[in-house]
Amino acid sequence: MSEHDFHPLVKQLLDGDVTLADLPPELRAEGEAALRLLAAVDRRAVSVPAVTWRVMAALERRRRRVLPWLLAPALAMAAALILWILPAKPAAPAALVTVRFVLVAPDAREVSLAGTFNQWDAHATPLIRSGPTGVWTATLTLPAGQHQYAFVVDGVRWVPDPGAPAVDDGFGRRNSVLTL
Amino acid sequence: MRPEPKATDGDIVRAVLAGDRERYAQLVERYRDRYARYAARMLGSADAAEDAVQDAFVRAYDQLAQCKDPNKFVGWFFLILRNRCFAERRRSRSEASLEAADSVAAADRTDGGAETAERRQALQLALLALTPDQREVFVLKHVEGLSYGEIAERLSTSVPSLKMRMHRAYDKLREELREHT
Repeated sequence: MSEHDFHPLVKQLLDGDVTLADLPPELRAEGEAALRLLAAVDRRAVSVPAVTWRVMAALERRRRRVLPWLLAPALAMAAALILWILPAKPAAPAALVTVRFVLVAPDAREVSLAGTFNQWDAHATPLIRSGPTGVWTATLTLPAGQHQYAFVVDGVRWVPDPGAPAVDDGFGRRNSVLTL
Repeated sequence: MRPEPKATDGDIVRAVLAGDRERYAQLVERYRDRYARYAARMLGSADAAEDAVQDAFVRAYDQLAQCKDPNKFVGWFFLILRNRCFAERRRSRSEASLEAADSVAAADRTDGGAETAERRQALQLALLALTPDQREVFVLKHVEGLSYGEIAERLSTSVPSLKMRMHRAYDKLREELREHT
């Protein structure tokens, strides 16, 4: 036992097995100092509310990445077929179109947009709540063509756009489709 | 009207394994804060704790089929988080000490007096000087309020070996905190 070690009885005090009154008088001061150490323990709660949607968004992102892998061989064959059938043409620059996405969700705490244009990242494109009516909007400039997307409400609920056509994503859910 | 009985962890795990993926959010909601405190004290930083808890929940989801007793999900999850915390401490031992001081000090500016803040900060830094095994038993007993018996069950070890670990921790803390006690 070194000079810095607590007396075994003081360790029992820290363990809660004995009280300060049980210590002999010569150990009281050491016991009080030991209890002051325990009084400095930080027992305050730690709140991490964002973890729920971060976990669910991570799981959702991964699930959606599976689909291109499953479809990759079929898409490669289709692309090869198209290149074989069509004569070669110089590629035209893609036109850009500005689009406003709107979702009415009065009870939502946060809404974002995930789609083919942001790699289904549920964090990348948050919508802004306009006024107390629960209308959430985001304005994006996207290349012309077809895009699939869904709204992510409170980080966990994936909701298709009620104002747009939808297709099955191959996993029993609906993705909204936007053609520009 | 009788209130609907709360789903048990086992009910939720079985539902998730059967394909109702979104029910997993209920488990995350139920345990994230409780285990964030453990992770924060182990890692010395609230931000690192948040990342660790998130990773542990994602990892637990991936391995959910290996949870032998769904009713004991939380004990199984704790071991995943524990491994994550131990690995994180090995990876970033030096950075965490600095973060710990900063994070505790920042929290105390809005909660408690200067003396309390100084003591907490000193103890948090001293905790980081313990071995992970010593720190863990101290955190589980004195932060989480578990008994030696409960800790022994959770970590599959014996009470005497935990006490030995803890008593070494007390001595080390005393040495680290000489000017504060």
